[in-house]
Amino acid sequence: MKSLKLNRIIPITLILLIGYLIPIIPLPPYIMHVFILVVMWAYLSTAWSILGGAAGQLSLGHAAFFGTGAYTTYFLTVWFGLPPLMNLLVSGLTASLLSVVIGYPCFRYGLRGVYFALATIAFTEIMKDLFIYLRELTGGSLGVWMPVLPEGITTLYFLGKEAYYYVITTLYVVLMIIINLMGRFREYLTAIREDEDVSASIGINVTRYKLLALMISSFFVGVGGAYYICYFRYINPYVAFGLDTSLQMVLIGIFGGMYSFWGPLIGSVILTPIGEYLRITLGGTYVGSHLLIYGLLLILIIRFLPKGIYSILESIYSKYLVRGG
Amino acid sequence: MDVQTFTQVCVNALLLGGMYAVISVGLNLIFGVLKIINFAHGELIMLGMYSAYWLTTLYNLNPYISIPIVAMLLFLVGVAIERVLIKPILKAPEVNQLLTTAALILVLQNLALILWRADYRGVSVYVPTITLGSLYIPGTRLAAFVGGLITSLTLYYVLMKTDVGRRIRAVAQDPEIASVLGINVSVIQTLTFGLGALLTGIAGTLLIPIYMVNPMVGGTFGLIAWIIIVLGGLGSFVGALIGSFIIGFIEAFVGALISLEIARVVAFMIFIAILFIKPTGLFGEKARV
Repeated sequence: MKSLKLNRIIPITLILLIGYLIPIIPLPPYIMHVFILVVMWAYLSTAWSILGGAAGQLSLGHAAFFGTGAYTTYFLTVWFGLPPLMNLLVSGLTASLLSVVIGYPCFRYGLRGVYFALATIAFTEIMKDLFIYLRELTGGSLGVWMPVLPEGITTLYFLGKEAYYYVITTLYVVLMIIINLMGRFREYLTAIREDEDVSASIGINVTRYKLLALMISSFFVGVGGAYYICYFRYINPYVAFGLDTSLQMVLIGIFGGMYSFWGPLIGSVILTPIGEYLRITLGGTYVGSHLLIYGLLLILIIRFLPKGIYSILESIYSKYLVRGG
Repeated sequence: MDVQTFTQVCVNALLLGGMYAVISVGLNLIFGVLKIINFAHGELIMLGMYSAYWLTTLYNLNPYISIPIVAMLLFLVGVAIERVLIKPILKAPEVNQLLTTAALILVLQNLALILWRADYRGVSVYVPTITLGSLYIPGTRLAAFVGGLITSLTLYYVLMKTDVGRRIRAVAQDPEIASVLGINVSVIQTLTFGLGALLTGIAGTLLIPIYMVNPMVGGTFGLIAWIIIVLGGLGSFVGALIGSFIIGFIEAFVGALISLEIARVVAFMIFIAILFIKPTGLFGEKARV
């Protein structure tokens, strides 16, 4: 086990270094923007995969936590004038608390598979409709704009893209460290994913661990939503609580490999630039073409490579690197 | 709310319920009876609406006359989806069906977006509005109501009394025993999925004179269909019919008293509550899978 951990540390350090050094190269802002999106979707999808991948509870409603995070940061910043850097954390906590509202009864009553997925979708729709209905509070379907703030790390308002890139990369690193520290907790989640009834019979508190996985997952997705509004400066209920937003986290995770640490990053590195490229080149004439390609790729991956692109890399790795050395 | 408004809202609720019956009946056949998960049900309805729209616009066909054509078209689409996408993963974990059909949502929505743009498109058909004293009954909605009832009852008859229906029910109860009895399970599964899609074609055609179609229209219809069949009890046609009217009444009354958004919120909350309290639905007998 120890050698395996050492094996892991080298690529991790390498990837981190490369990740952090990217902005040193003077890149045009648009390319920097794509890098930010790649890390952001890797981050969101990794956070989703704690529940969806590791614990095998297919949530199709993580936009509920994403949107809650974004709007919480907006409210705290605009109404109370609190610093957005702190609001990031509070947004995560709010999203995490909200996840208990839907998660506890779901797990308590043993909702599984398609029923759990439907409950999460319905919950997200409720959030969306409430945010549209309460327009005096939430800005309704028109959405909300973040105010212009003094530039700086506490306000999370920067004029250049590089700083935003460092922030999301740091968030991603923190998330990866925490997932790596989970240890036995992850093993429990794997056991629950493989067979819930057997896990319960050997004394794993299934409800508690699933709920814990959901709370951690939604915390980080909430922080991600808060980051989103700080970067894009605008959000509306259709994006914040949209099925497309939920599905994007899910399909990036599945494409890359949702059972592995690096899967969502691989998925995002491949899919996000393709999506952006198609959106830019075809966006004018063919709106939505990138989501069409996403959908087709997802269907192919589920059919032929259910463990994602990561499983190819893994088999290459074990074939040429481990056996050779 | 005075008596006159109350009666009018009741009429609206009934009409809405009948329309929801036609939206959900196909899903009830595919998932309720055959346990094949289809998240893209609403997108099939969207395709049905577009088919009816184009037949009307290009060939000047009355939507109500185009029902058999659209139904056959959607039947073929359903058969193709089942053969190409669903059949190969039927034995894989349930989650794979869910994800494949969720991906199909993205494919169909965005295909429609590329082909037909995001514009809202509608057809106007002249069906007289019936006036009973102070009550208004829009003809197009009455047509959808009647169509919904006829479709539900016909399907019920087909399932209960015909040879194909008996085969479908046999496969639903136990595929292995059914195949021992000489039923070609694979063909029946394809046929049932096609039949479910055919029903979305009928639904789409009945809806197009009422609602404008755009590529995203399927989301709402799909979710409502799921709510109704879970509420009524999977596979129970009487249950789904009653479920349709329950949702119809909630939407009409809460919509009239507060707002349409809150009406949807209440419907979703009841749906989630039913999942917790009685996952077999109000009229379902079978245990949850």
